[in-house]
Amino acid sequence: MEAVNERELVERCRRGDEGAFQELVDRYKDLVFALIARTVQDRSRAEDLAQDVFLRIHRGLPYFRGEARLSTWIYRIVVNVCLQDRARPPAGRETVSLDDDGARGRVTVSTPDRRFGDLELRDRLEKAIGRLPAHYRLLVAAHYLQGVQYEDLADAMQLPLGTVKTHLYRAKQQLRRLLETELK
Amino acid sequence: MFCDEVLDAIEAIAAGELTSDGRVADHLRSCPDCAAALEDARQLERMLQARPVPRTPSQFTSRTMAGVRRARWRSEQFLDIGFNFAIGTVILAVVTGVWMLMHRSGLTAVSNDAVDLFGTAFLTLARRIAPSLPLYAGAAALLVSALGIWWWAERDVSL
Repeated sequence: MEAVNERELVERCRRGDEGAFQELVDRYKDLVFALIARTVQDRSRAEDLAQDVFLRIHRGLPYFRGEARLSTWIYRIVVNVCLQDRARPPAGRETVSLDDDGARGRVTVSTPDRRFGDLELRDRLEKAIGRLPAHYRLLVAAHYLQGVQYEDLADAMQLPLGTVKTHLYRAKQQLRRLLETELK
Repeated sequence: MFCDEVLDAIEAIAAGELTSDGRVADHLRSCPDCAAALEDARQLERMLQARPVPRTPSQFTSRTMAGVRRARWRSEQFLDIGFNFAIGTVILAVVTGVWMLMHRSGLTAVSNDAVDLFGTAFLTLARRIAPSLPLYAGAAALLVSALGIWWWAERDVSL
């Protein structure tokens, strides 16, 4: 979104233009929802949290000074909402274990039923991601969404660019370790 | 070159953000463990890139806007309650202040006498009027009838 359009949209929202805020929701909902759904891995919870993000945006717009880009500010809110949600884990979340599937044996992409194998791998990947620390999960969720740059993530998490890259590499190392027995 | 040095760079190489220079490439050729780790990292990279993007529910915008309206309504209600409470407090403070002023200056005694005087006058007036009440009621009924007829006639003419 161009900076001028973005400023204009923010101004209209600040004046209480409901149509403008709806436009803002339409522009950012896919990114916000995808990011949260990938992080919390529960669609209905993700929808609640995404709505909470937009409520916070609505409340916070009068105080948004425009020093950062709107998208960066929105990512920051998403990060806060996701990290706060991680602070109170729902029942069952911490019990997910890759070892639960140990009895099914090793699956590789060369399995005759490749599609089924891919689905199993994807399922294990999601479980492995679910076991990462909260900020690693967010990084992995955001980095592989189209349009989210390292710079946006660094601004949103208020971390230096190099630290964001290092954290992402570490997250992938941990993921690799978690999946090692399944992938080798 | 040691395995640890190469393994630290494996994720960046797999993501294509770092190219393996001569020494790293040589090590990867000679060390099957590091080569396998790089292959795993590349496979993980492909899986992460192929991770499906969750689709936003179709009613998301309308539900969000309904939530925004609810939140705004609650906020306005809260403001209204706060405003009314503030006004009530101010009125109470003013009344209390005036009463204290009057009490200290002895005006309350005077105002009590004034209230008694008005009360007595009202009762006397009511006693005097009471016998003539039917007469007043008849006169009022006649006046209302006359006004009604006049209104009806005017209305008819305007039609």
